[in-house]
Formats: sequence, C-alpha cells, structure tokens
Amino acid sequence: MITLIYGGSSSGKSAFAEQYTYDLPEKNKYYLATMASLDQESRERISRHRAQRCDRNFITLEYATGVDRALPKVEEDSCILLECMSNLVANEMFSEGEIKPADTCVHEIIKQVQNLSNGVAHLIIVSNNIFEDGAIYDEATKEYMRALGEINEKVAAISDAVYEVVVGIPIKVKETEHENS
Amino acid sequence: MILVVGGSYQGKTEFARSNFVNAKFFNQTHLFIRKRLEEGRSQSEILEELLEATKDGNWVLIADEIGNGVVPIDSFERKYRDIAGRILIEIASRSTEVYRVVLGIGQRIK
Repeated sequence: MITLIYGGSSSGKSAFAEQYTYDLPEKNKYYLATMASLDQESRERISRHRAQRCDRNFITLEYATGVDRALPKVEEDSCILLECMSNLVANEMFSEGEIKPADTCVHEIIKQVQNLSNGVAHLIIVSNNIFEDGAIYDEATKEYMRALGEINEKVAAISDAVYEVVVGIPIKVKETEHENS
Repeated sequence: MILVVGGSYQGKTEFARSNFVNAKFFNQTHLFIRKRLEEGRSQSEILEELLEATKDGNWVLIADEIGNGVVPIDSFERKYRDIAGRILIEIASRSTEVYRVVLGIGQRIK
C-alpha cells in the first residue's frame, strides 16, 4: 500500500506525514531520510524534523540515493515514511557530476518506489509541489521539474491514498477502498 | 478568526468580501510577514503581532500561498517562504474556518 502526501514548502506536510504514519497499525515504523546534511540550513531542517518525531519511535535510515537499499534492514510488516521525493530526485539527478536525464531518473526512482512498496506493508511518500510560481527556469532546473512532476504523477497513480496539505490541513485528493483496510 | 488562502490573483479578496460581510479584513498577510522579516523580526514576534492585531472582533486574514514553487536561490527568499508557511499553519490551527480559493471558488478545508 502506498500513501502520497503532497504540498508546498512549509505547508505542514511533514508533520502530517509523521502523524499519519504514527497512527498506522504497523508496529515497526521507519523514517527513510534522503536529505544530505551538507550546509547549515539543511542541518537545521533535519534537526527540526528530528525534534518533530523524537517521541514517536521511528527508526531512521539514511539513503541519499537508491532508497530501496533500505529493504534488507526492514521487516515485511513494517511501514516506511520516505521523506522526501524532491530531495531524492535532486540527489539522483545531480550527484554524479553530470546531470542524469529526467527519463532515467523517473524510471529508476519509480522502480525504487515499487521495490520498497512490495517489501513492506505500507509506504508513505512525502513530495513537493514546486510547480506554481510561474517563473522561467534554466534547462537543468526544468529537467528536474519534469522528472519530479512525472514521478509525482506516477506515484499518485499507484497510490491508494493521496493527500495535499495546505496550511497544515490535509485535503484528501485520492482515495481507494484499500486505505486503512 | 477565519483564514482565506490561495495562489495570487485567484479572487481571494472578492470571495472574502462577499462571504463575510460584517468582518474586518487583514489582507496581504504574506506581505505583512515579509515586511516584518525585512525589519529583522522573528517568526514568533510576527505571529504574536498578528494575533494581537486581530484579537477583537471578527477578523478574516487573507494570504497568498507562496510555498508552491522551486526553492529560491536567495536565502532571504527561502526564509520568507518557510516562515510565512509556518505562521500560516499557526493561524490556520487557531482559525474556526479555513478556505482555499481557486479560480474565485472557495473550498472550505476546515
């Protein structure tokens, strides 16, 4: 089962995703972190997220790329919160010197998502809405936006539930009978 | 307190004025937050000022959703986006009603 949680920057999507995962029946809860702690701002964001989930018994796993490598470390009846897709796409696309094409990124990341989803009871994915500022960007940024946009659509298509979070309020935009069953 | 959010030029003000006739309006809340940030105020100071200014009477706060874009290169722009987002989450949690306006149509989300 897959749940996608989508929203803008500082929309409250992480806090909602953590609460949502915390409330799931699965006993073992993993937090799959994709953010590399390179600069001060990233470190501050990471520590804020850590504080948010400190009393919730999440086990943190960190993979900046190739997130399905986490599978050997998790039980089949567990749930994984993947935070977040926008970082994973950036890491996959830009971390090896030259820019990996959007199509390759989409293919590889969807494969990782499917592998993760097949290996656990419930996969929760946090992803970003970066598409509504109307600005014109350089080719590399557009390639990144294409990849993230397509991944968001494909993940939404295979998700059992999709939420959009606005000012901290979750709006359910897709539901199927499977969720919470 | 009522909060109305949405993208820019979505008809938020029109929606608010026609639906909340006897209310007081705090429009462009995001720009107020930006101005205070430029003056060096912190997130909690700005929130406190907003709550103090709207504590008497029926207030409708109107704000743009500014977080739905590519991460800005400029650090102040990133800070503005993050702090505006977090303040609006606080306002929303204290509001009795929250509306999101798209194409002039307000959807009640709380």
